[in-house]
Amino acid sequence: MALTRRQFLTLMGGSAGAAVLFQACGLPEKELFIDSPPAMPEDLVSGIDNWYATTNHQGGSSEGIVVRVMEGRAKKVEGNPNHPLNLGGHSALSEAALQGLYHPDRISAPLVRTGARGSGEYREISWEDAIARLSSRLGELESSNESNKAVFVTNPTGGHAGLVLEKFADSLGARYLSYEALETNVLRSALKEVFGTDSIPEFDIDNADLVLSFGADFLSSWVSPTRYARGYGEFRQGHEHRGKLIHVDSRFSMTAANADQWVHVNPGTEGLLAMSIMQVLSSSHPNPVFGDLDADGVLDSYSPANVAKEIGVSVDTINQIAEDFSHSEHPIALGGGSAGAHTNGTQNLKAIYSLNHVASNLGEKGGVLLNPNPPIDGVGVAAPSNSFSEFRRLAEEMKAGNVSVLMVKDADVYYGMTDTVDMKVALDSVPLIVSFGGMMDDTTSIADLILPQHHFLEDWGTDVPLAGPGYQMIGFQQPVVRPFFEHRGSNLGTKGFADILMATAQVMGKDLRLDGETFREVIRNDVKRLYELDRGETGSNSFEGFWNGVLQRGGWWDTSSKVEDVPEVKRLDGVASPEFGGLDQEFYIQPFISTLSDGSAASLPWLQAMPDAISTATWQTWVEINHKVAEEKGISEGDVLEIRPSNGRIIKALAMPNPAVPPDTIGIPIGQGHRDGGRYSAGRGANILSILDLKLDSENGSLAWAATRANITATGEWIRVPKFENTVPEFPRDEHHHIIEITSGDHN
Amino acid sequence: MVDSNKWGMVVDVDRCTGCQGCVVACQSENNIPINLEEHFNQRRAIQWIRIERYWEGEYPDVKARFIPIMCQHCGNAPCEPVCPVYATYHNNEGLNVQVYNRCIGTRFCANGCPYHVRFFNFWEPEWPESLKNQLNPDVTVRSRGIMEKCSFCVQRIQRSTRESERDNEVLEDGDRGLNPACVNACASNALIFGNFNDPDSTVSKMKEDAMQEGGRGYRLMENLGTDTNVIYLKKVDGSVEVTHGY
Repeated sequence: MALTRRQFLTLMGGSAGAAVLFQACGLPEKELFIDSPPAMPEDLVSGIDNWYATTNHQGGSSEGIVVRVMEGRAKKVEGNPNHPLNLGGHSALSEAALQGLYHPDRISAPLVRTGARGSGEYREISWEDAIARLSSRLGELESSNESNKAVFVTNPTGGHAGLVLEKFADSLGARYLSYEALETNVLRSALKEVFGTDSIPEFDIDNADLVLSFGADFLSSWVSPTRYARGYGEFRQGHEHRGKLIHVDSRFSMTAANADQWVHVNPGTEGLLAMSIMQVLSSSHPNPVFGDLDADGVLDSYSPANVAKEIGVSVDTINQIAEDFSHSEHPIALGGGSAGAHTNGTQNLKAIYSLNHVASNLGEKGGVLLNPNPPIDGVGVAAPSNSFSEFRRLAEEMKAGNVSVLMVKDADVYYGMTDTVDMKVALDSVPLIVSFGGMMDDTTSIADLILPQHHFLEDWGTDVPLAGPGYQMIGFQQPVVRPFFEHRGSNLGTKGFADILMATAQVMGKDLRLDGETFREVIRNDVKRLYELDRGETGSNSFEGFWNGVLQRGGWWDTSSKVEDVPEVKRLDGVASPEFGGLDQEFYIQPFISTLSDGSAASLPWLQAMPDAISTATWQTWVEINHKVAEEKGISEGDVLEIRPSNGRIIKALAMPNPAVPPDTIGIPIGQGHRDGGRYSAGRGANILSILDLKLDSENGSLAWAATRANITATGEWIRVPKFENTVPEFPRDEHHHIIEITSGDHN
Repeated sequence: MVDSNKWGMVVDVDRCTGCQGCVVACQSENNIPINLEEHFNQRRAIQWIRIERYWEGEYPDVKARFIPIMCQHCGNAPCEPVCPVYATYHNNEGLNVQVYNRCIGTRFCANGCPYHVRFFNFWEPEWPESLKNQLNPDVTVRSRGIMEKCSFCVQRIQRSTRESERDNEVLEDGDRGLNPACVNACASNALIFGNFNDPDSTVSKMKEDAMQEGGRGYRLMENLGTDTNVIYLKKVDGSVEVTHGY
C-alpha cells in the first residue's frame, strides 16, 4: 500500500498517542489531539461583545453599519444586514472609521491659535471660553449689521444635523454654503432636469440585464459603491442569465476592468455617444418616446457617421451598443464621474440619463427607481453643494474683506480647490477662521479657533440617503461608544457638532425653535412624527419600543412608499463638444478617486495602505501612463515626473506605466498632498486638484475637473513606488495551470 | 447537524470586483500591523487576504482580472510537515492552524507554501497608543520573528461554537458571527464560507454544483495535490470563445 508522507505522520502520531494513552490509563483521547493547546481554557477570551447599529454617511454615501464594542471600545465595523442599501456588506471607508475614532492625532480639546497662522501653535481652552469667543464675534457682527460677513461652509449636510445647521445660520443671518471637492451637483442638476428630482435614484442593478455606464466608477468610488457592488454580484451570478456591463470611459477604471466591454472614448464625449446611441435607436427601433424626447429633431446631427470620429470609437461600436441596449429586457444607463466633469458635463449627463426614458425603465424592475420625498418635513437629503463658481466668488469676497468669520465643518476648501482660484490666499484675508474639525485637515490647520466635533461613532444623527433605496428611509446614527476624550472632563474633550451650534445659540440668546435641549432630544422628539405615521418596517405599540427599534435596526424604512408616477419625458438638448485647457499640452489629465476618497480619508493608515485596484500602488501619488508611451519616452516605474498644465502650476508624482492607459491620457489619483491631516497624511504625495485649469461646466458653473491637459517631464529622480504587486512571488503559470480560469459561460 | 466540521470557502471570481474591502476588513479583525510605506518598499507588507490583478492584452483590447487569494487550508498542506515545532498543523475541523507561541520563525512553511499566503513578522508590530484601542482582544498580536497567515478567523469559529454550545443551539449555516471578516465585508457576495461536512450547507451545494462536469469550480494549482478547502468559481467572459486562463 502506498503511504503518503502525511498518512505516515498521522499513523505515527496515532501510535505515539496510543502509547501515551496506555500509560495514562483513561486520559480522554481528545486531550492528546495536537490541536488541543489552542483550545485550552486558559487561552479563551470570554469577553462580552455588543454590536450597535449606526450609520456612516461621511463622504456622501450612506452605509448602515454595526460596530462591535467590547469594554467600551469599538473593535470592528461590519455592514448592517438589515440596512436596505448595503445589506450587510461594507466599504473599506466604513471599516477605517475605527482608525478615525482612535486616531493618534485627534484634537482632544478646543484650541485657540497662539503662533502665526498655519504654524500649528495652539493653546487649549475650555469649551466655555471657545463658545464665548465664537458667540461674541458673531454678536459683534450682528450688532454692526454685518451678519452676512459670517459664512458657514460645510460638507453637504442633511438629516437633523442639516436642520440644526440651517436654523443656526438663519438665526444669525449668516450665509451658508456646502462644499464638495468633486461636486455631485452636476449630477444632481442633470437628474433634476431628466427625472424632475435632484436626489439620486436607485439603480436596480441586481435585476438588470444590461448596465451601460458612462464615466461612473460605480464599483469603486461613485455615489454608493457598496450598494452597487451588492447589485453587481446578483447581476453577474444571481440569475440564470448573466448581466452584461458595458462601461464607457476615457480611463481604465476598476469598473472598466470589471466590464464585459470597456469602450474607450475621448474625454468629455460620453454625452455625444449617448446621443448617437439614441439616434441609432430612433431610426432603427421606432419608439413613441422619441416623439417627446426628440421633438426638436436634435438627434439627427448625432448619427454615428457624424460623431464617431470625435468620440473616438467606430461606427460599428456605436451600432453594437445600441443593438445591445435595445435587445435587453432590463437595461439601465447611468453616468457620472469624469463624464460630468467637463465643460459639457451637465449636457453629457442629461443625454446619458435620457437613455432610461428610451428604455422606459423608470419604476420598473431592473430599472431606475426614483426616490420619494423624505417622510418628515424639514429632515431631508442634504441640499446640493454650491458650485465651484460660487466658491470662486466667495474667495473674491474674502479678499475684498467681506468675510469676517468663516466657520468650517468637514469642508477642506484649503485642500480641495484648484490654486487658480487663490483660495489659500483668500483664506488669509479672513480675520477669524473657526473650524469644527476633529482632526487637523488642511483648512483646520490654518484655523484660529477650533471647536473639535465628535467622531461620528460618538455622536447622534440621522441620515436621509442621497441615493436612497427607492422608498422612504431614514438611517439612524447613535453613539456606539462614549466620547474617547470624555476623561478630559466636560470643559475639554470633543462635542457633537449640532450640540456645539445649539450651545452657541443659547449663549447668544437665540431661539432656534428646536424641540429639545440637546441634539439627542431634538432627534428623539422628531422621531415621534415618524412613529405617528404608523407605517414602515419598525412597528411597535409604544413610542419607547419604536425608538429602540429604529436604533437597533439602524433606521426606519417603508418599502411600500415607492414613487408610482413616471416623470414626464423632457426634450433633449444638444450636447456640445468638450473644451480643454492647454490644447498644446500632450496628455489629458484624468484625476480619479483611488482609496482616499476626495482626500478626506488620507489620515487613515488602512486606506493609505490599501492597494489601488488597478496599479496596487499605496501611500503615494502616482501617474498612470501607457506602458508603450512610457517606453518611448524612456520613463519607467518610479521615475519622478513633473506634471505641467498650461496654467504654470506643477506637481510631482511617480510614474506607474500600465498596459490599459490610453496613450493620450495620464491618470492621477486624488487624495494626497496635504499640508496636515495628521502623521499619516501630512506632506505625502501631491495634490492633483491644486493644479487643475479653471474650466467650468457651461450650465451650472461647477469645476470641470477632467478638462485639464498637461505635459510631463522626467526630473531624473527615482523613488520606489510602494505597491503590493510583487510583494509575493508570481505564481508559476503555464497553459495548463492557471490562477484565474475563464470560461465563455456557455454552460450558463 | 453533523458530527464534525470541515470549514471551507467558495470564491466566485465572477462576482469579485477587486474592491479590496475584504483586505481591510481582515486587517481590522486580525490585528495585522499597519503596512507602512517602507513595508511595501521592502516587499514585506502583510495581507492575509490579497487581491491579485492580472493583465490580459493591452490598450485598447485590455482586461484586468481580479482574484482574492488567502490561505487555502489545504488538506495536504505543504507547510505542515516542514515545521519542526508543530507550530503549523491541521486541526480536526479542516483548518490549517498556526500556533504563534510555538513558532520559532524558521520560515520553512513560507518556503513550502505554493500560494504565498504566509507572512513573516520582520518587525515588532507597532501602533500608536490610541490605535491600540481598536485591537481585537480575541486575536493574539504576533511579535517579531513569528509567521502568520489567514486562519479563516478561527476566533470567530471558536466564539460561535462556544456560544452555540452554551445556548444549546445549532450553529447555523451562514451565521454572520461565524463567517470570517472578509466574507461579511464582501458586498458582492463573492466569498461564501461554511461547513463542507454538512451536505446542506451553501458551500457544499455550491461545491457539488461547481465541481461537476461543465461546472465553474476549480482549485488553485490543483496539480500539486494540495486538496485545498477553498473552491474557486471561474470568471465568466462572454467575449472569449473557449475556456482559458492565466
